[in-house]
Amino acid sequence: MEKESRPSWDNPMQFILACVSYAVGLGNVWRFPYLCQMHGGGGFMIPYLVMLVLEGIPLFCMELAIGQKMRLGSIGAWSAISPYLGGVGMASVVTSLYLCLYYNVINAWSFWYLFHSFQAVLPWSQCPVNTNRTAFVEECEVASPTQYFFFRQTLNISPSIQQSGGVHVGQALCLLLAWIIVYLFIVRGVKSTGKVVYFTATFPYLVLLVYLIRGVTLHGALNGVKYMFTPKLEQLANPQTWINAATQIFFSLGLGFGSLIAFSSYNHHNNDFEKQAIAVSLINSGTSIFASVVTFSIYGFKATYNYENCLERMKLLLINTFDLAEESIHKQNISFWISELNQTHPDQFGLISSRVEHCSLEQELDTAVEGTGLAFIVYSEAITNMPAAQLWSVLYFFMLLLLGMGSMLGNVMAIITPLRDFKPLARSFSNETLNGLVCAFCLLLGIGFTTPAGNYWFTMFNEYGATFSLLFIVLIEVFTVSYIYGLKRFEKDVEDMLGRRPGWYWKVMWAAVSPLLLISLFIFYIINYIQGGVPTYQAWDKEKGRLVVTEYPVFGQAFIGVLLVSSVSCIPLAALYAFCTRHQREVPVRKGSARSRTSSV
Amino acid sequence: HFCFILLWCYTLNVPGSKGSPLSVGAGPALLTCCNVTDGYKVRLSIKTALGDDAYEWSKSELFLFRAVLAFAVQRKTNNVNYDVSNILVCDETERVSFWFVVTTPDNTSELLPKLVVENAIRENRHRINSAFLLTDQTLDFVGINPTLAAPIEYDTPPWLIVFGVVMGVVCAGIVALLVSTFLQKKRAKKPSADPVDDEDGSGSIAGNGILCESIGDKDGTYNQGFTDDDRFTKL
Repeated sequence: MEKESRPSWDNPMQFILACVSYAVGLGNVWRFPYLCQMHGGGGFMIPYLVMLVLEGIPLFCMELAIGQKMRLGSIGAWSAISPYLGGVGMASVVTSLYLCLYYNVINAWSFWYLFHSFQAVLPWSQCPVNTNRTAFVEECEVASPTQYFFFRQTLNISPSIQQSGGVHVGQALCLLLAWIIVYLFIVRGVKSTGKVVYFTATFPYLVLLVYLIRGVTLHGALNGVKYMFTPKLEQLANPQTWINAATQIFFSLGLGFGSLIAFSSYNHHNNDFEKQAIAVSLINSGTSIFASVVTFSIYGFKATYNYENCLERMKLLLINTFDLAEESIHKQNISFWISELNQTHPDQFGLISSRVEHCSLEQELDTAVEGTGLAFIVYSEAITNMPAAQLWSVLYFFMLLLLGMGSMLGNVMAIITPLRDFKPLARSFSNETLNGLVCAFCLLLGIGFTTPAGNYWFTMFNEYGATFSLLFIVLIEVFTVSYIYGLKRFEKDVEDMLGRRPGWYWKVMWAAVSPLLLISLFIFYIINYIQGGVPTYQAWDKEKGRLVVTEYPVFGQAFIGVLLVSSVSCIPLAALYAFCTRHQREVPVRKGSARSRTSSV
Repeated sequence: HFCFILLWCYTLNVPGSKGSPLSVGAGPALLTCCNVTDGYKVRLSIKTALGDDAYEWSKSELFLFRAVLAFAVQRKTNNVNYDVSNILVCDETERVSFWFVVTTPDNTSELLPKLVVENAIRENRHRINSAFLLTDQTLDFVGINPTLAAPIEYDTPPWLIVFGVVMGVVCAGIVALLVSTFLQKKRAKKPSADPVDDEDGSGSIAGNGILCESIGDKDGTYNQGFTDDDRFTKL
């Protein structure tokens, strides 16, 4: 019999908060608002909510059910479901490993920005001066102070992925700190994680609320919110909208990594996961919408600020060139003056016509950014223009940290839980040592992301490390549960745990709708990869001060192939291995069942 | 632009005052003021800088300007003979912009070289700005770029300090946790001879190999032998 039974959450609330903390991550803050803006503002809610109901909630519930029933990490759970499909669990672990490697780098950046917020003048609000104090540093003049701070002082980015250099010591230190904190959170397994999630799950909401109040009271914020919520329903006809909604739901909930299976494996047998699945999915989507209101109010503020600056510059240009009195031109009549002066003094106007800009608020609002660019460049720029900027900066980066750390907990648990289930490892290493080794290993590999070319590798991992493999994994998962394991058997298991059979909604989703949706998403991804040609990335050009699209070199493309193949191939390889070993044994495969049968009294 | 200014100057040509030293309040000098090689254009943006507290630009303000400039040049050249009358101003506009030149005190038709004027203004920029409650951007000397403020130098970068604090706290937390785990394990190992009499709760009571404290208020551990599972009933 087991020496020590499986540890578990102190109460169901810890489990819910752990799932919320894991699911609510950076994607809610920086990907969803972008999609909203791209696909018709308020109208995007429709495909988003439809996809939530069709694929998000059923798949989430399914993963929780598997973990709670099998009470093992992803490898053990899938091996128990079908001995040929232990590879699904392994693929999940490999994908989680890739995610762990690069995700904590984002936390390192958040730490870097957080620590730099404790200064009288925020370092990204102004350009540094050059050596003889006559002008600003050239790279900063061409780009903007926030971009310069991110690309030069934070990343020290190289012009392409081929060129690299030494490790950025500040970044490496921040990464070390990030991993030490992750270790602190998971050192005792579920016991320590369970306490931490009370904070990491709830505090970001507090900060978001504070930011919401700050955001909507900013000058010009309502422009942004109005822009976001005016639905452009014609976008619904665009298939890309639906595809993006489906992918966003899928990745936002964190399906396929094995974290959900790991979390629920520590549950009581009779925990009501069905209700919890619905609750967590709804909370996740609600947070996305909440965060996008905050984001858009800040967008509106930034766009209005830029627009008014543009008008100020034009006014200054006109009154300086034509020596007009200061108060004769203001925001409302500037366009009148431009046309007037063009007619009355055409020669002079011709001299400055190259510097005359057409200021447009719409244009400012149209610039949509996502990902690290939004979080570290656009947002930090907006913060520098707020009063008491240091306070808002600290609060904002602290929130980013909590969101990131919360997700990291799930990612690391997805690796550690299956490792602990592996008996030889569990016997030779204690809990703390094993966790420490995993963290140290990820830290050492993660140092590679702090080199000058590190950001390009980061982008590669971000785009290719987890996206395609996850779709494949979850597709196999839902197919296995519905057809190989059998929906009837699964129903019985659920009844066993909850005391009631799953309703028709669940059965229809698991058996038909979700697999179909996933197959179509999968096919779409493959078509996209093939049609996209050579994979490209955005390299920072320091002379031009902006990102340029560059093709990956051969070794880069080869590595992308390795990333994709390494996780996906676990499934067929493990199946093959199980098939070969089965044929070599005379003893029936279910040794475990035979043993328990004879030992039951 | 330059032609425009020259044209403007010619229209202001006042006959009869050529060559005579100017007194305060007299009209602009002739060609000497609008000699662009040694003169500078100044622009003031008073309303932008001060908003509601803005003062009106008047003759007195212009006088103050000429006086401050004389002060600056005097300071630069260590020559006490500079006077307000050595600063000639012309071409005032609604914008509140005008041209000025500086004449030498000994010879009013000789102008001070551009470089000397520029250095004088650069060194005393702060004093000139404060006389008018303006800044480098709102009191604009066209062609003289303001020297940028020196960056603040720190002995230890502040971020390193915050990092050190956080790192220290976290490491202390880990050490505390590991030490407490280690002590717990030691105490669990100690009463190994007496597993039954453990009532102080520090050791672990076990029955059937399952630790009681892990069962606690749960409904027991799940015994897979009692599963209602089809797999096991093949016979």
